[in-house]
Amino acid sequence: MSVVNYGTREITCKIVYYGPGRSGKTTNLQHVYSQLPEERKGKMVSLATETDRTLFFDFLPLDLGTISGFATRFQLYTVPGQVYYAATRKLVLQGVDGVVFVADSQSRQLAENIESLQDLHANLADEGFDPRTIPLVMQYNKRDLPAGEISAVEDLDETLNFRGVPHYGAAAINGKGVFETLRSISSLVLSRLSAPATKG
Amino acid sequence: MARQAEEEEEGGEFADFLADVSKEIAQRVESLDPTPKAAAEARKKTPIAGEERRKTPAVAEAGVIVEWPSIADRLIEEIR
Repeated sequence: MSVVNYGTREITCKIVYYGPGRSGKTTNLQHVYSQLPEERKGKMVSLATETDRTLFFDFLPLDLGTISGFATRFQLYTVPGQVYYAATRKLVLQGVDGVVFVADSQSRQLAENIESLQDLHANLADEGFDPRTIPLVMQYNKRDLPAGEISAVEDLDETLNFRGVPHYGAAAINGKGVFETLRSISSLVLSRLSAPATKG
Repeated sequence: MARQAEEEEEGGEFADFLADVSKEIAQRVESLDPTPKAAAEARKKTPIAGEERRKTPAVAEAGVIVEWPSIADRLIEEIR
């Protein structure tokens, strides 16, 4: 859980973008990165294969500066979507504060979405998180594709969003819905900020 | 020109996000603050606050004076 550290005056939150392969997780981070003012642009670390698939993970440190006297940092991660990188996904979830599930809206990808969501729940549970309560936002990406190729948001929501968490349609490739999603997960994470336990 | 406007609008996305997050953090930090400031706020709400405290020093059950109008007043008192 993210903590307000009154000693070091720091707030750090870790947000992980999860979802099936090619659903647009890296594209989300790339859009956020493209919008950062020059003075805030750190390094976005992307480890990709020759075919541009995420091999290990993407990491975007988001230095928000000093807010209310606290150095505030958001760390955005993606996981590799392909099924055979299960160990990496588990590793990236360690210490997570909030998850954005990026679903592919294409009708033919529905089974992959479901499989990835189940994988997320299993990995969260393995890492000691309660999948029913961890801050989560659903993003239905690729809404820019032709209507005949994609499922309706309502249908996706009915199938995938059994927790009834906030959901957003997005076309991350055009930047649509990216910041709405980030704002929403940030808000959920911040609402759970806690003060560190005191000894005594 | 159109490109410039587009870039400004794009830059605004992050600025809006930052503004929202800053607001939420400010509220959250204040509500969680464990420092003496928060304790002082709580103390103000005790019966010995305000005018009453200025008139007479408060005396704890054990007979120890725990509240004086100010340190300077106490020093003057003791010098006398």
